[in-house]
Amino acid sequence: MYYVDRRGLLKAGAALVGTAALGRAGAAIAAEGTTLTVYNGQHAQLTDPLFAAFTDATGIKLNVRRGSSTQLANQIMEEGDNSPADIFYAEESAPIIALAEKDFLAPIEAASVEMIDPRWIGKKRDWTGITARCRVVTFNPDMIAEKDLPPSVMDFATEAWKDKVAYVPTSGAFQEQIVVIMKMKGREAALNWLKGLKEFGRPYNGNMAVARAVEKGEIATGLINNYYWYAVAHEVGAENMKSKLHYMRHKDPGAMVSVSAAGIIATTRRAEAAQKLIAYMVSEAGQSVIAKAVAEYPLNPKVKSTFALEPFDELDPPDVPPAEVGDALEAIKLRKEAGLG
Amino acid sequence: MASVSGIGRRSKAPPFWLVMAALVPTMLIGLPIFYVIARAVEAGPQAVIDELFRAYTFDLLVNTLILSVSVTTLSCVIGVGIAWLVERCDLPGRRFWSVLASLPLAIPAFVASYAWSSLDGAFESMGGAILILTLSQYPLVFLPVAAAFRSMDPSLEHVSRSLGYGPWGSFWRAALPQAKAAIGGGALLVLSHMFAEFGALALLRVQTFTTAIYQSYQLQFDNTSAAMQSAVLMALCLPAAFGEMRLRGGVRTARTGQGAARRSGLLRLGRWKYLALGLLALLALAALAVPLVTILYWLTVGRSIGAGLEDMAGALQGSLMLSVPGAVLTTLLALPLVMLAVRYRGPFGLVADRLPYVVHGLPGLVVALALVFTSIRYVPAVYQSTLVLLIAYAMLFLPLAQSSLRASLELVPPELENVARSLGRKNYEAFLSVTLPNIAPGVGAALALMVLELMRELTATLMLVPTGVLTLATEVWSYTNDAQYAAAAPFAVMLVLASVVPVYVFTQRSLKIYDL
Repeated sequence: MYYVDRRGLLKAGAALVGTAALGRAGAAIAAEGTTLTVYNGQHAQLTDPLFAAFTDATGIKLNVRRGSSTQLANQIMEEGDNSPADIFYAEESAPIIALAEKDFLAPIEAASVEMIDPRWIGKKRDWTGITARCRVVTFNPDMIAEKDLPPSVMDFATEAWKDKVAYVPTSGAFQEQIVVIMKMKGREAALNWLKGLKEFGRPYNGNMAVARAVEKGEIATGLINNYYWYAVAHEVGAENMKSKLHYMRHKDPGAMVSVSAAGIIATTRRAEAAQKLIAYMVSEAGQSVIAKAVAEYPLNPKVKSTFALEPFDELDPPDVPPAEVGDALEAIKLRKEAGLG
Repeated sequence: MASVSGIGRRSKAPPFWLVMAALVPTMLIGLPIFYVIARAVEAGPQAVIDELFRAYTFDLLVNTLILSVSVTTLSCVIGVGIAWLVERCDLPGRRFWSVLASLPLAIPAFVASYAWSSLDGAFESMGGAILILTLSQYPLVFLPVAAAFRSMDPSLEHVSRSLGYGPWGSFWRAALPQAKAAIGGGALLVLSHMFAEFGALALLRVQTFTTAIYQSYQLQFDNTSAAMQSAVLMALCLPAAFGEMRLRGGVRTARTGQGAARRSGLLRLGRWKYLALGLLALLALAALAVPLVTILYWLTVGRSIGAGLEDMAGALQGSLMLSVPGAVLTTLLALPLVMLAVRYRGPFGLVADRLPYVVHGLPGLVVALALVFTSIRYVPAVYQSTLVLLIAYAMLFLPLAQSSLRASLELVPPELENVARSLGRKNYEAFLSVTLPNIAPGVGAALALMVLELMRELTATLMLVPTGVLTLATEVWSYTNDAQYAAAAPFAVMLVLASVVPVYVFTQRSLKIYDL
């Protein structure tokens, strides 16, 4: 009855014919084709234009269900064989890897997988990275000079940084970072890092809140993903931004690259259309739409972001790809041990 | 003349149809309770002990209690204070202040929190949370207490004065005891709201059981620790739910004679008037002006302004389409519970009446997951249909309807129904022809309060809404999630505007329930 994504419908209609009256007729034609249900944990800023462009190109309509990626993954597991979902697009890799490990995902066609570097593909080729972003330090130059920032993210968990560093213990990328530290430097180092952050750092409930707090001068530095800074810049105007980004590089855990990732739910009855959506998301056409919409790195090497991002090849991230980070459940145990929740 | 005695008590068995009608909401309420217990049992006793007896759980317990007890106490002080000023004192512009004091209900707590935290980071703390949430919650105490003060039988206060007590002494000895039930009811709502509050606390960086439960679901793919935290939360709600009932005790507030409804004389404030006006103005500034000005400020500074405006009509429609039927369903389900509890105080009625308060303190997320689990396994056809979401709303918000209805029903003397029955009416006919018309103001208040709360519900809505349906609350969430505050602002403004109507109805109905 209400299974129509109005936003997608409106945009598709408007793009097709340009006038509202005729737009409805255009959408009605599309309505006769297949409709896919997408569980979407990725920011709407990226997916709204991407999905609208897909519907334009193929006539396949999308019902988009929104929510946080982990909640949606939990929901898919709770739904089991009856899940109405055809596609899951997660903001981080951990939720989709959790589904992959429990065999909730179907393999992706070879042609799609080949568009993306194997580093960003699931072990069973049942999910693919769509975009990448990197961990950064956002800092307020009124409070600290860039040269005084430490060489490694590990150094932030020390007394010298008391009340000067904001972090988000609940963010997905933070969990992945914990696992990366464990793999690179051992469990003990990761645990001490968390204990240090708990003692000296200031926890926030969201990356966006950290980006804003550093911008306002509430705190000197923050550990976030690069695109949150760009999201704030997008809203207030880049020229008005006080805070700046610092890149850790040198394979430091603070330079970790994480991906948003999509997969096909194994129980789908619309596998062909679902494969088409994944194919579009990794294609040059789809990735170009993303490159214009948000400040994340498109993973198809033929497409470059239109934002003034730090070049992807110069990020020099650690050699622990998302597939090895897994569902990040080890991170939760460590966090509990460190008393972080 | 009101008789302050226990003759309202009855112990005769309730009619069959009423028990059946009360079973429906009781079974629904049982779902999340069983879900939580089942998940905790799955984990095994060792996991339960490990989870409950660690420092983190203790921190959460302390935070949850500090926050909810402080907000509840302060809401009672402010709510009773204003009610007394506008109903019992010769304050200039009493009606105006009465309306102004109830308007903060129209502003969702997460909007107010955003406003305050953007003023100064210092509000992102326990102290800030107590301040901001008190400002948004006190009307829930103010309204029922104001109604109680307004209708109070003045003779008791006169008796007290004639016995030599001054105005203050009479307030403590005569007025306050009569408003005890209203204060207790309001306080319980505030308390259980605080147990379940998430949006505001996430912004204000205060950790409680509810925020921890969200975090668990946010990060984990195994829900046992969240289930155990939910169980602790339910255990906290239990004493509050039953304690409030004791407060109400055996006081009978129904009157059969109209004669004594004379208004009592107002207390002269003298020079204290200016202090009172100053405090009320300060309160209005803090509770109304700060959040409203902040929303307008978003409109002027962001670049995302105007984005998504084409969805406004759809979002408004979605909000109304869900909140109005949700309110009707919740009120319908609450009616038998209240009838049973007020008229036939048996053990089943008691438990059925109190359990919803326990679930009211649970986060929407837990109720939603219980419904996902149940509906997709046993009735997959209704999964992600509007019906399941409406049921979730009813499970979450039954107590709000119960409070409004109860206040009304307690004023209808059972003798009226007895008269109808003695004239040959059957039980349910007596209910339809006598009871229902008399509690109409209470029903109106319940509906309005529901619509208000349902329009801003977010977590259960996100999880259970039919795919693609937008609401004002989900749009505000979606845009603020992307830092597009200017795009979120029109939806927030619309949410506040749409709330003004139910707030007005709720206020008017609540204040007039005693004007039989």
